[in-house]
Formats: sequence, C-alpha cells, structure tokens
Amino acid sequence: MVRIKSWHLGIGVVSMVLGLLFVFQLRTEWKMRAVLPTRQVNELAKMFSSQKLQLEKYQNENEYLRKQLKDYDRDREIVRLRMTSGLVPLKGKGIFITLSDSDKKLKNYEDPVFYIVHYDQLELLVNELWAAGAEAVAINNYRIGNTTGFSCAGTTILVDTKRLAPPYEISAIGDPKNLKNALMMPGGFVEQQILSFNLKFSIETADEIEIPAYKGSISFDYAEPVEEAK
Amino acid sequence: MYIPIIGALIGIIIGVFIPYDIPINFVKYTAIAILAALDAIFGGIRAQLDQKFVFYKFISSFFTNTALAALLAYLGDILGIDIYMGAIVVFSIRIFQNLSLIREAIFDRVWWHAGSDSKDKDI
Repeated sequence: MVRIKSWHLGIGVVSMVLGLLFVFQLRTEWKMRAVLPTRQVNELAKMFSSQKLQLEKYQNENEYLRKQLKDYDRDREIVRLRMTSGLVPLKGKGIFITLSDSDKKLKNYEDPVFYIVHYDQLELLVNELWAAGAEAVAINNYRIGNTTGFSCAGTTILVDTKRLAPPYEISAIGDPKNLKNALMMPGGFVEQQILSFNLKFSIETADEIEIPAYKGSISFDYAEPVEEAK
Repeated sequence: MYIPIIGALIGIIIGVFIPYDIPINFVKYTAIAILAALDAIFGGIRAQLDQKFVFYKFISSFFTNTALAALLAYLGDILGIDIYMGAIVVFSIRIFQNLSLIREAIFDRVWWHAGSDSKDKDI
C-alpha cells in the first residue's frame, strides 16, 4: 500500500483546485462565446460600428414613419377615397361640353352613320378629358365611375346601364383652361373625329360644375387586395 | 505522475456537478489562478524530485502567489494597465523552467541511473 505523503496531498489538492477553476472558467467562456460572435476585439469593434450605423438608419426610418403616422389623417383619407370612387357628389371649376348629332341636310349619297355620335366618340372624348387632368366626369348627369363602360345598343348609347340620348352633355371638373386647350388642340381628337363630321360641339368653361355621385354598382366578387410586401 | 492527473479529474468532476460559473468581471482573476495552480503543481513536482518538498511551503507559496497575482490584476484594473500580464509571464516562465528541470530529473533517474537511487518511482 502506498503511504499518503504530504506532497501527494499538496499537489493533489492544488490539482483539484486547478480542475475546478478550469471547469468554471470554461463554462463562463462558453457562455460568453454564445453571446459574443467572436473574441477578437477588432472584429467586435467593426461589428459594433456597423451595428451602430444600422441602428442609426433604423432610428431615422422610425422617425420618418412616426412623422408619417402623425400626419396621416384617416378622415381625410376616407374622404379622398370616397371622392375617387365616386361615392360623393362633387363640385368645382371645370368645363361643360355639349355634343349632338349633326343636323346637316344629307344628300342621297351621304351615309347618315357618319353624322351621328357614336359611343366610341364619347368614350374617347372622356378619355381625352382624363388625360388632360379631369378629376371627375359625368355624361348627361351620370357620373363616370372606375368601372364604367360605354357600349352601343342599337340606336342609343349605354353608359354602364344608363341609356343616353342626344344631346350629350359632358361635364368635367378640372382646370378649365387646361381641359379646353387639351380638347381643342390642333390635330387632336376633337378636331379630327368630331368637328370633321360636322357634329354639333361646344365647350364652355364654368366656375361651378356639379357632378352627382356614381349610381352604378361597386362590388368586388373576385378581386382581393394584395398584402403589400414591405 | 498520476497524482496531479487524478486530482485534476476529481476537480473537473466536482466542477461539472457544481453549477457555478465565474462572473465575467472575474474571468481574468480565474485565468491567473489557473496559471498559479499550474505553476504550483510543476513547482511541487520539481521540489519532490529534488527531495525538497515541504507541505506548508508549497501551500503557502501557492496562495501567496495567487494572491499577489490577483492583487496585480486588480491594480491593473484600477489603473487601466494590464499589469496581470506580468504575473502571467512570470508564471509561464516558471512553468517552463520547472518543466525542464522535471524532465532532466526524470531522464537522470530513468535512463542513466535506472533503479539505482530512486526512492519515489511513483512520480
């Protein structure tokens, strides 16, 4: 049997302390490694500065969004959307167009088809108005909505499901001068497609034009809003 | 040579079962303590090989060395200088010195005077 000597005890105890400390230290080190991506001070400093930059960017963005949120007025947004979708009657400066079939006495060889107003002429006229910056358009007091379509039904023109009869009175809200100039542009749609057929056509600017609410149906059976991806 | 290994193993096992870890601020001190323990072990083995091992000297030198190293580290923390590096350097140098002496002593015993005058073969 080996007798336990003093040096056995001494070195053994110190070795034990060493093992103990080693385990504790290792545990702390592992914990630190789990938190810190690297122990390299330079790397950490680089990461820190880049993260700081990122943080600054996010803070700026946050501030910007917060400001936007503050400025956002729900009621105003709703009013604007209602105006856009034609749910409310509108009034304002604009122009008033009257268009009707030609009353020219036709000769035998002349085809009356060329001297009446067709649905596509109306449609293109409205298109011209939109292009010129009209904010709202109505034909014969029927508001043109987002889904309004023009069609030809025998001798009458249909806007959505409303029958139109001449004279066609088109009212548009927008900058009167711009609208008028856009329509009367030399070589433009009106000159080529309406005046050349001797259709009766007149434009008046008006300070107050009233456009009624859209009377057609607005329903979405198939369309769904897409989640806006950020 | 098995005493330190067995001791370290026992320490490791105890450490594994004690769920304690050193606060990050004291990691530096533990590192020095580990180094001091290593130094003490090597020094102790060498002293034993020289037949000069005295228990209370061994233990007291271990504790005073550790205490001084810790004090240096603490001072360095206060002054903002890594003074404990000095302790680490000294401990490391001593460990290497002791290691070389131990190695020489073992060579002397095992190869040149094999079985002649070795009283403690269990090193």
